[in-house]
Amino acid sequence: MRGKLIILAFLALLASGPAVGEEPQTLAQGEILRGRFMQERLLQGFDGPLRSEGSFVLAPDKGLIWRTEKPFIVTTLMTEKGLAQQSNGATTLNVPATRAPIMTGLYDMLTAALAGDWSGLDKDFTVERSEDGGKWHLRLKARAGGPTATMPVSEIRVSGGGFVDQVEIEKQGGDLDRLTFTDQKREAGALTGDEKALLDIAGKP
Amino acid sequence: MTRPRTARPLAIFWLLLVVATAGYLGVNAWSGIAFRTDLLSLLPAEKDRQDANALAGQLIENSSRRFVLLIGHSSREAARSAAAEIEKSLASSGLVSLQQIGPDQVKAMGAFYLPHLGALLAPADREALSAGGGQAIAQRALAQIYGVGGFADAHLLKRDPFLLFPAFLTSLPAPLSRLALDDGYLSVKSDDKTWIMITGNIAGDPYALDTQDKFTDLIADVVGREAGKAPDLAIKRGGAIFFAAKGSQSGLRETSTLGAIATVGTMLLLIGAFRRVGPLLMNVMAVIIGIGAGLAANLALFGEIHIATLLFGVGLTGVAVDYGIHYSATVFDPSRPTTWQRLHEVLPGISLGLVTTLIGYLILLWAPFPALRQVAVFSIVGLSVSFFTVVFWFPFLDRGEAPGYGRHLLGLANVFWRIWEDPRLRRLCRMVLLILIGLGAVGVLQLGTSDDVRRMQSLDPTLLAEQADLQELTGTGGAIQFVTVEAADDEAALQLGEDVGRTLDELQAQNALAAHRGPADFVPSLKRQAENKALIERLDWTGQAEALGLSVPVKPTPTPLTLQQALDDGALPFLKEWVLGVGRQVIALDGIRDVAAVRAALAGRPGVHFLDPAGDFSERLGTYRHRAMWLIGFSALLMILPLAWRYGFKGGLTVLLPSMAALLLTPALIALGGEAISFFHVMGLILVLAMGVDYATFCAESDYARRPVTMLAVLLDMVTTLLSFGVLAFSSVFAVHAFGLTMLLGILIAFLLAPLAGGVNPRSRGSV
Repeated sequence: MRGKLIILAFLALLASGPAVGEEPQTLAQGEILRGRFMQERLLQGFDGPLRSEGSFVLAPDKGLIWRTEKPFIVTTLMTEKGLAQQSNGATTLNVPATRAPIMTGLYDMLTAALAGDWSGLDKDFTVERSEDGGKWHLRLKARAGGPTATMPVSEIRVSGGGFVDQVEIEKQGGDLDRLTFTDQKREAGALTGDEKALLDIAGKP
Repeated sequence: MTRPRTARPLAIFWLLLVVATAGYLGVNAWSGIAFRTDLLSLLPAEKDRQDANALAGQLIENSSRRFVLLIGHSSREAARSAAAEIEKSLASSGLVSLQQIGPDQVKAMGAFYLPHLGALLAPADREALSAGGGQAIAQRALAQIYGVGGFADAHLLKRDPFLLFPAFLTSLPAPLSRLALDDGYLSVKSDDKTWIMITGNIAGDPYALDTQDKFTDLIADVVGREAGKAPDLAIKRGGAIFFAAKGSQSGLRETSTLGAIATVGTMLLLIGAFRRVGPLLMNVMAVIIGIGAGLAANLALFGEIHIATLLFGVGLTGVAVDYGIHYSATVFDPSRPTTWQRLHEVLPGISLGLVTTLIGYLILLWAPFPALRQVAVFSIVGLSVSFFTVVFWFPFLDRGEAPGYGRHLLGLANVFWRIWEDPRLRRLCRMVLLILIGLGAVGVLQLGTSDDVRRMQSLDPTLLAEQADLQELTGTGGAIQFVTVEAADDEAALQLGEDVGRTLDELQAQNALAAHRGPADFVPSLKRQAENKALIERLDWTGQAEALGLSVPVKPTPTPLTLQQALDDGALPFLKEWVLGVGRQVIALDGIRDVAAVRAALAGRPGVHFLDPAGDFSERLGTYRHRAMWLIGFSALLMILPLAWRYGFKGGLTVLLPSMAALLLTPALIALGGEAISFFHVMGLILVLAMGVDYATFCAESDYARRPVTMLAVLLDMVTTLLSFGVLAFSSVFAVHAFGLTMLLGILIAFLLAPLAGGVNPRSRGSV
């Protein structure tokens, strides 16, 4: 559960991919980030990585739409109110934020990161920055003790240029999630009506 | 007439009796008198209700210990640091035990359930699986696993590839539906503030003044200190203790004010009327001896006394002041008789008054409520003892001579009699009577009854508003209605609870109920665990393993989960409040919108009781009121016997007329004022009947020459009664107000109409 939180936080960073030496930038008010993703989950004791790909839309203050296209079509919706999944037009999962309390913290972190506010992460992780050939790297190691103790994440590696290109999340049990982002673009426009309607589903009782 | 020969031995005998009673009370007081204060012990011990009463008592006690604080600030950090400080002060005070729901709590819950993975199902999943919807569940799990982030790690997925365990955990009923756990604190965000919840239980008795003072002082202190640091800090307080503390404060203030008015007023009246302290002291003494005797009788018979018995008993015994004053007022008799002649004059009247009043109180003895029986014993003994104190002692103690100013007083008092006889006023009198009858008729049409116990207390409006805000913010106000489930053992009770849960789900779907939660939601019965296990095993494990690329799925082997384990573990701390004993469990109901539907749906199931403590109590007060009304009617009928013996049937009816009019008019006038009649109004009517008959009897016993003296006595009786009971009408406690208002109106009516009985003549005036 908490792993999801971290990913979301970093999805937020996609928008603020910090050019080295610069202050991290954030999405301007009303801007939307669109792109494609490839997710690989390497689970201990499983034959191969569980691979999925699709597209995403991130609108600060509104939520995240995560459309998995392969191996099957599932749409995950995440907002301040909660998390929902849809497949074949039917809602198969809907967890209000109040039932999964971490969701609230997650949303706080999302907004914080969007605002370029790293303090939320500084508390739980030590952050190392480096660069090579125009690409920047962040290496976040979970601090011992504190709230991090409840997080099954041991290390997070982020790299990118203008945008975040890749996020690797290493879990304490040895599992690894690798997210690769492509075709990202910032838009000044609003969400479409369909997208808004989708986000409204999340967390609805 | 001179002193009878028996007078001195009787007075000495009486003194010995009084001394003995005082000794008995002294011994009891030394070893500690058992005062009872719990309202539930007043209720009739009906057999099927006994268990329910005990449960209700336990539930009420549990919930009255609970308190909730919401600390709000526009800055999350400020709110959190204030909450932390308040928590620290509370924890170190030793006054409370805090319920902290930190991240450890969530982790502990996960760890607690993990060994039972494979036997636990979310209700929706169980339904889906029973209906053959395994494919959808498998698909849902895949979607989650491939979806963003992923719920589970490899370790969990191997044992739970269908992700039924996380679904179970998130399906558990949340005690506070709108709050979310934010880094160790249950919080909720409103438009402009972050609210942090602090909750716990009072360690001591929340109804003890000492506990209330310490607790509210502590909260005020620490909140004040924190508000100094963060100026717009807001706090919402919830819990019985805050209301009780406010109630005690205003109750104490009010009691002392009303008590002072009654005491000072009565003293001024009696001293002013007699211009001596003698009559005042003698009457106070007679009543105090009566009260002592009533208390002693109660202790001897019941071994204990309820605080409510004491209050009502003192009130009913206080009627005795009428007899003493009636005697004392004869001092104004212009024929200046001796003290023995004076006693002889009033004896028939006050004896008849005693007999009729005792009839009223005796009736209470047959009432099937322990409380009223205690009250009856108290007041019968108290009233009789006061009466005999007047008869045996007053002529010895009284040295009064008719004072010269008496004529004015007598003239004043006689006005109340003369208005009925003055031919010039006859039309006016008739008109007033007609108006009263008219008002009564209109009032009767508006007569309504209500015994809603929630209305009986006056609750502080600020606290009520805070409580409402708290409910709004947290989504619940703490359950006040319950279902109790009783069976031979825990397993049977859990199964019964699951059964009831299904009914409650249906009620919830019909919108009759907002939510319910009980032990069976957190600990499924062993039977259900076995069913769950079978359902889970029937899923397509091979298919799911293939879809995930998992070569070796590990079918879980859950160990059975028992209620006792759950109670011992402590991961589910709230469970304790719902498990009252082996096979005795409670399901808390939230937000009931249709009590009748809930009651009906649960009726007739063995071992299942719908408990609405406040509602039940109101309902039973209603039963009390009904029975008390019948008893009043019945005792009025019985009173005709001694009255008819003395005045003839017609005369007896006439003597009863003023109090009957008071009995009928008072509720009607109260209804006219827009107030519904409650049990406490009816309790007042018992006294109105008793005193009204006294007044009328005194008037009937009075020959023409002594009318002014009699009327003065009745006037003094009436004013002392109004001073001690009538002022209660101004109490902010509804029950007390109801009692006082009834007395105020009833006694006034009975007093004004009493001279109508003056035309009645005893069959043999002057002898008993």
